[in-house]
Amino acid sequence: MHRRFTRFLGASLILGGLLLALPLTTLAADAPQKITVSVFQAFLIAIGYYLSQGPWLFGFGFFTIYRPLAAGLIVGLILGDPAKGTLIGAAINLIYLGFISAGGSIPGDPALAGWVGTTLALSANLDYAQALAIAVPIGLLGTIIWNFRMTGDVVFLHYADRRAEEANIGEVARANWLYPQIWLFAITFIPVFLFASQGLTFVTDILTRLPTWVLNGMAIAGGVLPAIGIAMNMRFIFRGAVIPYFFLGYTLVVASNHSISIVVIGVVGLVLAYLHVYFMGNRDRGGTAAATAATQGRA
Amino acid sequence: MGGKVTRGDLIRSWILWTFFSHANYNYERLQATAFAHAMTPIIRRLYHTPEEISAALKRHLVFFNTEPNWGGVIHGAVIAMEEQRANGADIDDDAINSVKSGLMGPLAGIGDTIDQGTILPILLALGIGIAGIGTVQAGSTPDLATITGNPLGAVIFIVLAMGIFLAIGYVAYTQGYYRGRTFVTDILRSGALDRIITGASVLGNLVLGALAAQFVTVFIAYPLYVGNTHLNLQTDVVDKIFPGLLGLGLVLMTWWLLRRRISPMTLVAAYLIIALVGAIPFNGPSPNYVTDACGSSILQPYGPCAAPAAK
Repeated sequence: MHRRFTRFLGASLILGGLLLALPLTTLAADAPQKITVSVFQAFLIAIGYYLSQGPWLFGFGFFTIYRPLAAGLIVGLILGDPAKGTLIGAAINLIYLGFISAGGSIPGDPALAGWVGTTLALSANLDYAQALAIAVPIGLLGTIIWNFRMTGDVVFLHYADRRAEEANIGEVARANWLYPQIWLFAITFIPVFLFASQGLTFVTDILTRLPTWVLNGMAIAGGVLPAIGIAMNMRFIFRGAVIPYFFLGYTLVVASNHSISIVVIGVVGLVLAYLHVYFMGNRDRGGTAAATAATQGRA
Repeated sequence: MGGKVTRGDLIRSWILWTFFSHANYNYERLQATAFAHAMTPIIRRLYHTPEEISAALKRHLVFFNTEPNWGGVIHGAVIAMEEQRANGADIDDDAINSVKSGLMGPLAGIGDTIDQGTILPILLALGIGIAGIGTVQAGSTPDLATITGNPLGAVIFIVLAMGIFLAIGYVAYTQGYYRGRTFVTDILRSGALDRIITGASVLGNLVLGALAAQFVTVFIAYPLYVGNTHLNLQTDVVDKIFPGLLGLGLVLMTWWLLRRRISPMTLVAAYLIIALVGAIPFNGPSPNYVTDACGSSILQPYGPCAAPAAK
């Protein structure tokens, strides 16, 4: 566990450092139009990031504002431009389209990329490539927070063990819902609040100095990185007799020259799912394999 | 010892689980305290001596991890077992433990396939489309300065996701209790769930394939000169064979690497470096792909561009 944590930390720091150190030598470009983020707005944004990981939204933070699309809307509301915020959130969300978290590990933190990335993009009026240039390394840094959380929470587990010994139901319950939230709040709220209230101009300055090729590189990454999320998702369902449907979906989009809507794909999928199950029945083992493939749930 | 679990107890237990299933998520026993927490209304109802309470709490502080919405069926079944046990039925710790550990894996598989594998990507793709980011198509640029975003995309996503997952979670939890563990195991054995998962896998594969085609984009910019003619590897070769071939290859390669136990973090780092290296200009200054024609890097971000003048 320790080695894994160190490796995560190292990888994230190296990547973050790489991107921040690269451009320092080049000259500043013209300064774009900016929105200033007040201390109160920074406070709200940091609360929002905490809520995306905390339990308070019916436990559905993970399924809603953990995603950059939804985070972008709320950051936009806080900063006074919900339309632009949603657009930026949607752009950042492309990288995390197939994001899946299973067995307690995550390949990046879409929530940090969404909340902080949209804040930066709105405040500095960034374009698509610049927004990605900041969202990708931020998402990687977010895995550090995740690992702090998953490691630190062990303390409350052992506290619950001791209180269970004494038949103290109330304390066992609080060891689950209350105390870990203090820890989670500290590791999520504080860094985002400090960054949103103090660090924006610093990073914006660096971003405006990024040479064109680095921005081109980040825009290329924006087209390449969705492959990882989608492939992670495929580990669960891309097996057995249902494999051809993946190629069919791919071909439908290519053949329609990217004009087919996802709702149409969904309807076609439902029809095919019915037909497949009707005609194949239980002879197909693809589904069973998928059911037993994962032994652990989402993060 | 003894008593009847009321509907209120069941709902309270479900609410505790749906709120706090990941409140104390940790590397050692994952959702262990969350399971015990969700059981507290039941334990309060059924057990009255400190020894019984302590034993019940410890029984549910063991390793547990499943998908929170579909996994609720386990809690429902376990509540039914605890109730029978407290009222004198011969159900020991092993029986309860085996139901929990036997069902949490399959239900995580079902839940992740349907929730994270199918429903979320569809809803996200729908919301992203409405929000204003269309497909990153050949020749087009997602220019954040000129597109007007639509907040409705995010609102629709949030409302649909909340509604769907709330409904799944509630139905799973209460059905698990009212129909009991035999229902759960019967269903698993009968093949009804098999059919649901198979159907979901069909839909999921179709959607993932479509998303891959829409959003995984790799374009070769490397200029190849045959005599005096400029040959565009992207438009003249790859697109003639199968447009989007590179993206498909990339996704399949990623899937294969993940199966070879390469960590996703390593892949993110590697792909980031490949993208940056692919963008290095090796022949003159780097072009602004939004406004300029083809550059001279290996890869390029947005669709095929105009050929540079032949040498």
